[in-house]
Parts: sequence; structure tokens; C-alpha cells
Amino acid sequence: MKVQVRSVDNATIIDCVGDVDLYSSPNLRDALIKEMHAGAPAVLVNMSEVSYLDSSGIATLVEGLQLSRQTKTRFGLFGLRGNARSVLELARLQRVFAIFEDEQEALQKIPATQPFGGL
Amino acid sequence: MRGRGQGKGPAAGAGRFASLLLRTSGVPAGLRLMRITISSDPRLLQVLRAMVGYIAQRAGLAATDAENLAMAVDEAASNVIRHTYGSCSEATLALEIRTYPDRLELDLEDSGPRVQPDTFQARDLEDVRPGGLGTYFIKCFVDACSYDQSFSGGNRLRLVKHLLRKVGDESPSQKRG
Repeated sequence: MKVQVRSVDNATIIDCVGDVDLYSSPNLRDALIKEMHAGAPAVLVNMSEVSYLDSSGIATLVEGLQLSRQTKTRFGLFGLRGNARSVLELARLQRVFAIFEDEQEALQKIPATQPFGGL
Repeated sequence: MRGRGQGKGPAAGAGRFASLLLRTSGVPAGLRLMRITISSDPRLLQVLRAMVGYIAQRAGLAATDAENLAMAVDEAASNVIRHTYGSCSEATLALEIRTYPDRLELDLEDSGPRVQPDTFQARDLEDVRPGGLGTYFIKCFVDACSYDQSFSGGNRLRLVKHLLRKVGDESPSQKRG
């Protein structure tokens, strides 16, 4: 998996490309921790190019959610599809994350979310 | 697919490897058997997923169900790597896949300390916290899972996925949630 970080407006977007599994999820975890501790007002994870998400990837996202509460960072996901969307729903976690269809909607709505991910 | 450990079989400490055994002789009619052995390196989980997904589709599972079965194996292997082997990447994992006309049986073997079967429990989904979902996904995506208590070389987790369904049976995807 490749992880790239960019800034758009007042948000930090973490682009993930590939499989998020036991091997690669620490890369995403490192990026989340770094950006949230750096004081980003909002962190969005772009999942549109994630082809596979397992429980370790989900654990990383939940960890990011918990960290966002500590750092008062607005936190959300967008672009979920296929396996990534279905496993998050299977774990009934779609209700705890702020989830947006695409980047445009995420950037538009993230300022209105609570600073811990929930809508 | 065949790498280090070829021929004599991989040994612990041999570095990252994946080896594949296809057995045709001495196998009962109607059964196809494949065995893949990997080092306990998380980088090789994608090899297991690809292999299981391929075999499952060839056996007749729909693409989504084949992906889900591959995820069940990935989660089981991840559990072994993290918990049984303590994230040591120098140990060995073996997956044997037996394709019967009506089902797939997948045995995941490790050489770690014996796992108590009652620890193989899915956690409460209302408890939102990092971790603990792997067993839940395994149970969602297979029809049966159990530890083979007769296996003496470590742990052998057996996953079973049915291939044939009668009209009116719930589909694997309907089993979720």
C-alpha cells in the first residue's frame, strides 16, 4: 500500500492505494498519528483506491478515531467501495465514522462534523 | 510461487519464503489438494489471499464469496502471526486446501503453543475499540471453523465453506450481520 499526504483547503488528506492489511496498516497508522499530532484541523482518509481492508486496517482507523478525540481533530473517510465498505458495514462501524461519498463532499461537510469523527 | 525451502520443505529461520505443493497421486477421486507453506511474514499474506481466492473461484464460489473466504484465511493467519508467533516472521505457516465436490476445507497449521479453543470468540460489536474483529470476520465468512484437537504439532484451525446450496438456502452474503 502506498500512503501519500496532501493539504486541501483546511484539511489534510491521506491517500491510500492498495491493500490495507497486517503488513501495510502500520504505514497508515504512522500517517494518522503524525498528522493529528501536527495539529491538522481535519484529517480525511481517501479510501477510493483501497482494494482490500482487513481487521488490522479497521483497527488502525478506529485508533485514528480515538486519537482524533484527544487532539480535537475532525476525522472522516471518503471513497469507500467494495471490500472496504462491506467489511466496515459488517463490523457496524459506518455509524461511528464520518463517511463521505467523495472528496468534494468530504471537504464540504467535514467542517460541520464534531471534532471526533461523528456527524 | 515456489521459493526458498523448495524440495525439503521450508525450515524456520530460512527467511521469507512461500512454497506450494500440488498433490495428485494418492488423492481420492473427487478431491483436489493443495498445500502452501509460507514464513510468518505479513508481506506474504497477499500470497495466501490470492491463492485462496483463485482456488475458491475455480471451485465455483462467486467472486465476492471467494474474496470473503480469502479474507477469513488472511484473518486467521494474521492472528497466528500476531498472537501465536508474537509477530516473529521467522516461523512457518501452512495452509492445506482440499476441494471436495460440495465444500472447501482449509486447514491452517502453525507450530506455536497450543491455543485454547474457547479463546476463538468474536467480540461484541457494540464495544468499539481497535482490534478483535478478525475472529468475527472469520465466523461471518465460513460455514464452520474449529481447532483440530488431534493435531500435535501446534495448532490446526479448520475452516469449511460449502459450495452447493439448495434452492431456498440463505446465501453466504445473507448470513452476514
